[in-house]
Amino acid sequence: MKTETRAWAQLQRHASAQLRPGFADRVVRAARAGAEAVPSLLSIFTLSAATAALCLLAVTLFNTSSRDTGESDFNLAGWQQIAADSEEFAVNL
Amino acid sequence: MESSQPTPPVELILRAQRGEPDAQRELILAYQHRVAGFVYAIIGRSDSIEDIAQLIFIKMVRAIDRLQAPAQFESWLFRLARNTCIDHLRRQKLRRIFLPFAPEHENVPEPSGAVGSEELDALRHALEQLRPQDRALLALVQEGRSHAEIAVTLRSSVAAVKARLHRAREHLREHYQSPHEN
Repeated sequence: MKTETRAWAQLQRHASAQLRPGFADRVVRAARAGAEAVPSLLSIFTLSAATAALCLLAVTLFNTSSRDTGESDFNLAGWQQIAADSEEFAVNL
Repeated sequence: MESSQPTPPVELILRAQRGEPDAQRELILAYQHRVAGFVYAIIGRSDSIEDIAQLIFIKMVRAIDRLQAPAQFESWLFRLARNTCIDHLRRQKLRRIFLPFAPEHENVPEPSGAVGSEELDALRHALEQLRPQDRALLALVQEGRSHAEIAVTLRSSVAAVKARLHRAREHLREHYQSPHEN
């Protein structure tokens, strides 16, 4: 038997010895417990949709309020310009 | 590490796919030692074998219902094992970027003689010098997988597997110093 082949066999034996008794039972239990704790696809989808809707609502609200403020500033500036023009016109009269 | 156990009957795999715990347990019992050896060849640390083997079998139990060809169970399982080991090593490498630990602090090599004979130490030392992908390749050969099966496992061509295997064996030979030669 070649030395290297013997070493591979020892590696296999050493590795096997690291598994404690009852390994398979522990794995099956852990896999089943984990599977129960994993949320369903529907609940993941619902949560994602709700988060997306909230984000969209927040963006829309922010956009509307910032557009309103912009429009008000623009209108105010327009009226100030008209008032200034009227005053200038009255003075000239 | 050569595979000597027969492939489990397709019926057992089908039962495991249906979610029968007894069948899943039998499958784990049939493969646990081979997977442990495979993990050790790639990871190189005794204290991680059980944790990683457990992770591999948990993934197996959860994903087995998606296996379409039960006859290819072994190739599928060892692909799962290989990917899990390589992910583990990648995560360790990534963690070192963010944590102030040098590799020598968190990956203290097992002292010589602590895990077995000089022959095993020599093999472990030689394997440590190879890339994880090459270790996985050699471990698959030791598992008794044919070139065609390895090509399926690695989603590669037979010619590419042969070339990579040749290089990996050359590297292993370069670093492997048999205790009897010294």
